Amino acid sequence: MFERPRPADFHQGSSLPTVVKHVTQREINLYAEASGDFNPIHIDEAFAAATPLGGTIAHGMLILAYASEMMTRAFGQSWLDGGRLSVRFKAAARPEDTITTSGRVDSIEDREGIPHAHCSLECCNQKGEVIITGEAVVKLQ
Amino acid sequence: MENKENNSSPASLKDLPIGYQFPSVSYELTESVVAKYLSAVGGQQDFLKSGIVPPLAIAACAITALSQSFAVPPGSIHASQELEFLKIVPVGSTISCGGRIAHRLERGRLNLMSIEISALNQDEEEVLTGKATIAIPS
Repeated sequence: MFERPRPADFHQGSSLPTVVKHVTQREINLYAEASGDFNPIHIDEAFAAATPLGGTIAHGMLILAYASEMMTRAFGQSWLDGGRLSVRFKAAARPEDTITTSGRVDSIEDREGIPHAHCSLECCNQKGEVIITGEAVVKLQ
Repeated sequence: MENKENNSSPASLKDLPIGYQFPSVSYELTESVVAKYLSAVGGQQDFLKSGIVPPLAIAACAITALSQSFAVPPGSIHASQELEFLKIVPVGSTISCGGRIAHRLERGRLNLMSIEISALNQDEEEVLTGKATIAIPS
């Protein structure tokens, strides 16, 4: 089901498959149930409306899952058992936002004879605001 | 997430010293948890067909499980996250998760606290490591 990537399919500058997701309060609530993170800033609209954020926001790890989906689509099993990720959460995603996750291969480096792809990635909302930015490394075999 | 242990009397994250070890917490990644997770994040149904837990689901549940042993001050923000996926985790696995305070840094009106996380499967093999940095208002 999840195959290993073929090194020949990737080179410096290769684009990763873009993932576009629409965030809804229903999905945020489901994510809270699945992860166990019931922080009211995510699920209690009345509570969140009274905070400086002015409303509920999605869990950062929910949006980060979209980046992991992109990496899984691109690199399959190599992402699942050896992928590395380092990201910064720059802004909050809100219900009804459309999040576009994109990435590219910045370089390919050999480590002990195994090629590794170094990738940059970004999750942006429909206004072009960056929600998450970061890097990922995955072996190409 | 189905927690197998519960820790009581949480201390404030802000007050924990560098090197503080969080009590180990275990949780089971059942098919229903994974299905719910996949409904929330959308797509990725190949995971259920393959019987594999999405790596971000392991991470999310680990962070939540650990966070039950401390109180997060209001206004705190998940500022950054590092993760390394070391081993595929089959659906139905029981994960034990531990963590420690790795760094504390005061920057202006924020305290930045980094928590190192390690998740083991039921055979005590490390399946995931990571570092979460939380920005806490002073």
